[in-house]
Amino acid sequence: MTHRISRRSVLAGGAALLSYAAFAPRAFSEEARLRLLWWGSQTRADRTNKVSELFKTANPGLAINGEFLGWSDYWPRLATQVAGGNAPDVIQMDYRYIVEYARRGALAPLDSYLGSVLKVEDFDQVQIKGGSVDGKLYGISLGANSTAMMVNTVAFEEAGVDLPTPATTWDELARMGLEITKAGKRKGYYGLSDGSGVEPLLENWLRQRGKALFTADGKIAYDANDGAEWFAMWQKMREDKACVPADIQALDQFNIETSPLSLGKAATSYAHSNQLVGYQAINKDKIVLSSHALISKDAKGGHYRKPSMFFSVSAKTSDPELGAKYVNFFVKDPEAAKILGVERGVPESASVREALAPSLDDLGRAALEYVSGLGALAGDLPPPPPSGAGEAELALRRVAEQVAFGQLDAKQGGETLVNEVTQILSRG
Amino acid sequence: MAAVQDTAVVVGAGAKGRPAAQGRWASTWAKHGAGYMFLLPWLIGFFGLTLGPAIASLYLSFTSFDLIRAPEWVGTANYVRIATADPKFAAAMRVTFLYVVLSVPFKLSFALLVAILLDRGVRGLTFYRAIFYLPSLLGGSVAIAVLWRQLFAGDGLINSLLAQFGIEGPSWISHPNYAIWTLVVLSVWQFGSPMIIFLAGLRQIPTDMYEAASLDGASKFRQFYKITLPLLTPVIFFNAVVQTIDAFKAFTPAFIISGGTGGPINSTLFYTLYLYQEAFGNFRMGYASALAWILVLIIALFTAFSFLTSRYWVHYDD
Repeated sequence: MTHRISRRSVLAGGAALLSYAAFAPRAFSEEARLRLLWWGSQTRADRTNKVSELFKTANPGLAINGEFLGWSDYWPRLATQVAGGNAPDVIQMDYRYIVEYARRGALAPLDSYLGSVLKVEDFDQVQIKGGSVDGKLYGISLGANSTAMMVNTVAFEEAGVDLPTPATTWDELARMGLEITKAGKRKGYYGLSDGSGVEPLLENWLRQRGKALFTADGKIAYDANDGAEWFAMWQKMREDKACVPADIQALDQFNIETSPLSLGKAATSYAHSNQLVGYQAINKDKIVLSSHALISKDAKGGHYRKPSMFFSVSAKTSDPELGAKYVNFFVKDPEAAKILGVERGVPESASVREALAPSLDDLGRAALEYVSGLGALAGDLPPPPPSGAGEAELALRRVAEQVAFGQLDAKQGGETLVNEVTQILSRG
Repeated sequence: MAAVQDTAVVVGAGAKGRPAAQGRWASTWAKHGAGYMFLLPWLIGFFGLTLGPAIASLYLSFTSFDLIRAPEWVGTANYVRIATADPKFAAAMRVTFLYVVLSVPFKLSFALLVAILLDRGVRGLTFYRAIFYLPSLLGGSVAIAVLWRQLFAGDGLINSLLAQFGIEGPSWISHPNYAIWTLVVLSVWQFGSPMIIFLAGLRQIPTDMYEAASLDGASKFRQFYKITLPLLTPVIFFNAVVQTIDAFKAFTPAFIISGGTGGPINSTLFYTLYLYQEAFGNFRMGYASALAWILVLIIALFTAFSFLTSRYWVHYDD
């Protein structure tokens, strides 16, 4: 008679083994748990998890639980978790939201750990300030980036058009776009993405005109005239077919995967320098970074080095010092730096940058050189965006679409935009 | 061998679960306890996930609540803003009503048509029933909405087909004039569940009525108009109410197709999508709760209206 094991006993045995594996060896040694939450791609998740493993080896007995989502799903999830009183201990935070979360008391001030747990003395002081709200430090910058144009070099080459340079003006860029479209080397292909609804691009253009998106006290810092000129510039490019038509641009959900560049519709796209890694990962053609076009030959650039994202510690965490320790490891440990590369931006610590430089691949080096090489094109960091900035960004996108689809002319577009943003900001 | 084991386990559990029958409660429990235990998951779900949150949201609708700080009582301010100073509310209303008015009649007509065809004794009826029902099962899912996005994109399947006839189609999902239509088509495609109900309704109609009618020389169309439709009105009524409520609550397809923006230019800004944006995008949970209660009110009004008018066109067999 053959020995047969019933399915039930196999399951029971398996469950027992599993629970033993899960609890038994750690049940007595496990003292601390750390929950992390961040947004980003799979590449970023892999890197982050590796760093967590490394931190665990250095801190035995610690359990780390990391979770990640896409940008648009991230903020609803974080808001619900904070509201439900189960916020993650370490939170990836954006420049756009840090004021909202800090003022509402969701983040722990980190000033008392400076110098002891947080050894960020060799950080660029401007970036430390960037993570401060009302004089207290709420976020440690994970890296610097700047807005950038992603350029498909192969498409430019095919059309026989030279790549844009830091001295390229908007007129010249429009002409390049037009030539690529006209060359017709690819089916349904255009020179440029339509950037009229892209807020960082509008900000860059405004800064070249000596203006900004928001004032320091949270009001709109440009007028209907600026808006009208902005929309008119893009309207012209659309009519010339230098940039993609409205219904193609509207496919863009403002992430790497759905940008006209990645969809194979245009040779450029507007993003942030640290996203080069992500762009190259899903595009066959070689992608390079280029600074944004100038409004005139003698214009000063509109760029700035921006904290790409922060790590903040929840105000509700049971062990804020442990959170701070993790953050410090993340931004200062040389091994961690090698794993992370510049995927979250160029590290703020000078010593880490030095340690990192030799181990970087071409993409990493390109991103690093781009940010550090902006030179005169880069100006001061603007104040953190006020509450309602997220809504204002959606309003820009909608008005830009209304102009693109012909529901408003450029002048009406400028007026509508300024009215709506003013209203949104007054509501707060 | 395994079967014997199973039986033994069941008998054992039964013996252990039986309480000592002492007192009224104990005897009631002995009689109905198992029933309540089976109901327990539903009861927990109803009180914990439906009734509790509903009451909480009614309270929140009178507050300003940013999800992080404690809610702050503001009285009827949220409702006043909805009624007087919210152009996006009006936009969302327009889109939602358009969707309800377009999708429900199309979907019901299509479901009825397919049900009638299937009712005519098709071979392999169960197979077709299953196949046609499938989209209804999948329909609410994110995967289908993503698929839809692919089909109707500028270089998607739909435009490839049109190109065969020399027509150059726009990118349907990202053009404000057409985006809502792709969502209507998606909804009509999910005609399975009303179709199954229609099919059951058609089966209830006595065949001798048709026989008598054809003996009297009534045409097929006349039979449909004079027999099928009147006798089917209770089922049509039921389907119309259920589908209208569903259409008002639609969320997933618009969320996926517009990437959560309701764009291009608010053309897919469904009411629930706007509510979601306000709650989680703009940290206005109090305002979003007020929006939710307005939706409850609208659906209640629509349903009440349907019931009131039903007596004029729904014929119950009595």
